[in-house]
Amino acid sequence: MAAAHADYTFRHDHLLGIEGLHPLDIAHILDLADTYAEATRKGLRPEPVLTGKTVVNLFFENSTRTMSSFEIAARRLGADVVSMPVANSSVKKGETLIDTAMTLNAMKPDALVVRHSASGGAKLLSRKVDCAVINAGDGTHEHPTQALLDLLTIRRVKRRIEGLKVVICGDIAHSRVARSTTMALHLMGARVHLCGPRTLIPPGTDTWGAESAGTDFDQALPGADVVMMLRLQLERMNGSFLPSQREYFRYFGLTADRLALAKPDGIVMHPGPMNRGVEIESSIADGERSVITQQVEMGVAVREAVLHLLAGGRA
Amino acid sequence: MSLEIVNAHLIDPATGTDAPGGVLIDRGIIKEFRTGTGVSFSGASETIDAGGLCLAPGLIDLRAKTGEPGGEHKETLATASRAALSGGITSLVVMPDTRPVIDDVALVQFIAERGRETAFARVYPAGGLSVGLAGEAMSEIGMMAEAGAVLFTNGDWPIASAQVMKRAMAYAASRGAIVMSRPDDRSLAGGGVMNAGEFAARNGLSGIPVEAEWIGAMRDVTLAEQTGCALILDQVTTQRTLDIADIARGRGAKVFTTVAAHSLFFNELDVGDYLTYCKVNPPFRTEQMRKTLIQCLKEGSINAVVSAHDPQPPEEKRLPFGEATFGAAGLETVLPCLLTLVAEGELSMIEALTPVTIGPASILGLPQGRIARNAPADLILFDPGKPWLCDRDHLLSRSNNSPFDGRRLQGRVMRTFVGGRTVFER
Repeated sequence: MAAAHADYTFRHDHLLGIEGLHPLDIAHILDLADTYAEATRKGLRPEPVLTGKTVVNLFFENSTRTMSSFEIAARRLGADVVSMPVANSSVKKGETLIDTAMTLNAMKPDALVVRHSASGGAKLLSRKVDCAVINAGDGTHEHPTQALLDLLTIRRVKRRIEGLKVVICGDIAHSRVARSTTMALHLMGARVHLCGPRTLIPPGTDTWGAESAGTDFDQALPGADVVMMLRLQLERMNGSFLPSQREYFRYFGLTADRLALAKPDGIVMHPGPMNRGVEIESSIADGERSVITQQVEMGVAVREAVLHLLAGGRA
Repeated sequence: MSLEIVNAHLIDPATGTDAPGGVLIDRGIIKEFRTGTGVSFSGASETIDAGGLCLAPGLIDLRAKTGEPGGEHKETLATASRAALSGGITSLVVMPDTRPVIDDVALVQFIAERGRETAFARVYPAGGLSVGLAGEAMSEIGMMAEAGAVLFTNGDWPIASAQVMKRAMAYAASRGAIVMSRPDDRSLAGGGVMNAGEFAARNGLSGIPVEAEWIGAMRDVTLAEQTGCALILDQVTTQRTLDIADIARGRGAKVFTTVAAHSLFFNELDVGDYLTYCKVNPPFRTEQMRKTLIQCLKEGSINAVVSAHDPQPPEEKRLPFGEATFGAAGLETVLPCLLTLVAEGELSMIEALTPVTIGPASILGLPQGRIARNAPADLILFDPGKPWLCDRDHLLSRSNNSPFDGRRLQGRVMRTFVGGRTVFER
C-alpha cells in the first residue's frame, strides 16, 4: 500500500472524529482508500485483510445508507459482519448505551461501528470497550468517515485539496458533516466558507477552521471549486428556524443561476439523502457537475481503508 | 457543661475578626469570645487546644437537595448531614423537589422532624412555591412558613407563567415569606445542556444562553419590586445578573443573590470530553465570567454562596452528555473551594467566608453564622492551607457525582461543632 510518509505509522485505536487527526493520518487514509477505489473499479477483489475479524454495526439511529456502506466495506475485506439497528430493540426498553456496549464487548468484536443520536456517544462507548470504535455519526458532533469520503471525492476529481475554495451551505448548526468536513478540509489546506440562515450558523466556526460563516450564498460562491449542500431537516423548516421551504430555496437553494457564480469547473456535492427542490434543484443534482454518486462510491472505499487500519493490523 | 476552645485563630465575617483568640461555650451557646494570644477562660470544664487552626462559624447552605423522601438511594437527610458536617456546613436548607414534593404542612413537618431525628446538622425545609412544583397553583405558603419552611422555591423548574409568579410573590410578601427563584427563561434555555457558545457548538451540544438568565432575572426582580416580596436570585452565573439585582435594589426591591461554589471554580471548558459530572444547571460559563464572579464576590455583591448539592447516582450520569441528568454533589467542597481561592490569592479569608456565614444568616434571620455572645455554638475548626486531593470515592455523600473529583484543593475542616457538640472530627 502507498504510504503518505516514509516514517509514518497510523497510531489511532479508534476513529471518533476528525478532531485529533494529523494531516498525515488523513493523507494516509485517503491513499489507502484510493487503492481500494481503484481495485473496485477494475473489478478486483481486495486482499481479505479482515478474514476472521468481526465487525459490529451498532446503529442507534436508523441509517440504511451508512450502515450498508460499512457492511459492504467490511465484507469486501473478508470480515464477519453483524448489523444491529438498535433503534427498535432492547435499548428502547431502558438498556443504556453503556450496557449495550458492555454486552457487545463481551462478544469480542474487532470493531464497533456506532451511530448514536447523542453528541459524544461514540467517545463514551470507546471508554468502555476493548475494540476499535468507529464513529458513524454522533448527534450533531462528528461524522468522520463522511468527511474522509468527501475529501477523497474532491481529491480524485480535482487532483488536490490544498488551496481549493469550498463553500458549504445549509444547516451548519445541526450538521455533524459540516463540523467534520470543515475540520478535515482545513487540515488539508483548503479554504472553507460556510453559509446558511443566521439561525443555523453556530458561533465559533473559525475554531473548526472555516474562513468565514455568512448568510449570503451568492456572495460566497464566486471562485468556488466545490459547492457542498447540506440536507435541511424538515422539522427545522416550518417557522422554528426559518420561515418556509420556499423562502429557504430562494436564498439558499442551489440553482443553475447560482452555480454559474462558482468556477466553471466547480463541482457539486451533497452528503445525502437529498431534498430535491428544497436545497438543490434536481437538474443540478443529476447534472454533469454533480459528484454525488461518486461520494457514495468513495464512501465504501474510505470505510474499507478505515476498517483495515483499525481492525486489520497496521497498513 | 462548658467548653473552651483556645489557641485558635478566630475568623468571624460578621465583625471582620481575623485574629488569634478563643471562645467559651456553655450549654450550646457561645458565652464569651476574646481575641489575643494566650486567651483562656476561667471555669471551663473542658478545653480544646485548637493548635492554631482557624475557628469560624459553621457554614449555612441555602440550597441542598437530598433524596428524602422518595429518592433515598441518592441521599438521605442523614447522609447529606454527614457530608455537610465534614465540609463544615452546620445548617442546610433542603429543597422541596423530592417525591412527593414538599408542598404542604405535613411534609414540611416531616422534613423538620426527620432532620432533628436523623441529622446532626441543622436542617431547614424549603417549601414548594407551587403545588407539585407544577407552576400552576400556589401552595399553602403561610401555613408552611408557620410549620418551619424558611423559604419558598420552585426548585430547578422556575415558574414559567409571570402571572402565577406574580401572585405567588404577592401572597408570599403578605405572609412575610422569602421566595427563591432560578433566574431562567426556559423557553430560551429549554433543550440546552451546557453553556451556549463556541465550545458547545464545536462539541455538537445544545446551549443554555446567558440571556435566558438575564431575562429570567429581569422578570423576577421586576415582580419583587412590584409585590414587595423578598427574592433570592438562585445560582447566578454572570455579573450582568448581579447588576440587574443591584438596579432593582436601588429601586427599593428586596433582592438577594446566590452563586453556586462550583461556578466560582470551573468554566465551560471543564466539560472537556463530555464529562457528565460537569453537567450542571445553570452551567459552567466562560473563564472570563468565572473571574468576574470572583471579583463580584470580593466586592460584596453576592449575598450567599451555596453548595447546589444535587446527588445523582451513576445510572443518571453514565450516559451520553445530552442524556445525563444535571447536578453535582457539592456539600463537601464548598469550603475547600473557597479556601483554595483564598490560597491562590483570589479572595481574602473574610471575603470567602462572608457569603457562607453571616450572608445567608442575615437573609433568613438566623441567629447562627457568627461568633457572638448568645449565638448558637455552631463552629468549625479548619486548616486553611492543608492540601488534599479530592477523590470522589472518599466523599461521604451517598452519591459521589463531584466535578471536583481528581482536583487538588487547599483547606480542610478538622472539627465541626453544632450547638457546642462535636459532630465531626477528621
